[in-house]
Amino acid sequence: MALTTDPDEDLVRRVGRGDPAAIQALVARKLPRILALGYRMLGDMAEAEDVAQEAMLRAWKQAPKWKPGQAKFDTWLHRVGLNLCYDRLRRRREVSTDTPPDRTDDGPAPDRGLIAAQTGVRVDAALALLPERQREAIILCHYQELTNIEAASLMKISVDALESLLSRGRRALRQTLADLAPGHDPGVTPSFNRAAEGGRT
Amino acid sequence: MKVERFQELAEAFGADMRRWPATDRAAAEALRLAEPVMTGQLLLHAARTDALLHTSATPQVSMALRDRVMASATAAGLSPRRVQWIAGRIAWLSGAGWAAAACAGVVFGLNLTTQLTADQQVDAVLYQATLDGVDDTEVLG
Repeated sequence: MALTTDPDEDLVRRVGRGDPAAIQALVARKLPRILALGYRMLGDMAEAEDVAQEAMLRAWKQAPKWKPGQAKFDTWLHRVGLNLCYDRLRRRREVSTDTPPDRTDDGPAPDRGLIAAQTGVRVDAALALLPERQREAIILCHYQELTNIEAASLMKISVDALESLLSRGRRALRQTLADLAPGHDPGVTPSFNRAAEGGRT
Repeated sequence: MKVERFQELAEAFGADMRRWPATDRAAAEALRLAEPVMTGQLLLHAARTDALLHTSATPQVSMALRDRVMASATAAGLSPRRVQWIAGRIAWLSGAGWAAAACAGVVFGLNLTTQLTADQQVDAVLYQATLDGVDDTEVLG
């Protein structure tokens, strides 16, 4: 595997030595990302917190024996977080629920207008309705800002397959949320969207 | 790059071309400059989807979660090792300091005793030398 430049390398090395300042810095840098990953994958804040806490615990155990150059620490941490989410999603399927869990936001309200907040709730709901792999692709690429190669590697698919999942997922979101498009006339598909989607199958 | 490929990338990765695959970025940028109107429309269309996605609230890390995660670092043996190391250093330095002080005290004490004894002997000799009728052998032995 080619050597990778890891922006977290020095921080992880210091964490491995037990440097309290480095531990604090890693928490500040990674905990919000893993919490967001868990929340968007699972749609449940309590479960997302459990996933984030467990992923960070594994990071503490991994840091002293971390070998730089093989993989980015952030990618490794995402793999841990994703696997924890998969476990929980698998358990949900085993108990067989046809409806996705209600999304609750226990965190402080974001600083934005009511309309935007309502739109956000609808977007969250639309994301939750997407097929799991499409949702995962959008979460990793759009929200977690991983590269296509990193996301494809985490999902164990090719970059072409990832691109296809992203396109289909975004298209499905647009269709679900068509009434939120600027200049939307209820009952009429926006001409721009129709024209733009005409070339896609 | 053809416009169709540009459209595929915009629909998959959104309007921010920094998020596009590194291998396609340069060619896409060249096409954007060559076909600004057409590519602009495609990017605008993608930007609308991006804008929708951006309205999803990012969860905030609570203080309780942060504290639990910090505590888990301690439980995993990271902080304590550091703290123990520092405490060990302090204890070692403290012990060494006490030992050094004790040694210095002993040396000083011995020097002081020797000095005082010598002074006393000199005083005794001078005193006896001033006495008449006393044999030096009686004083000095």
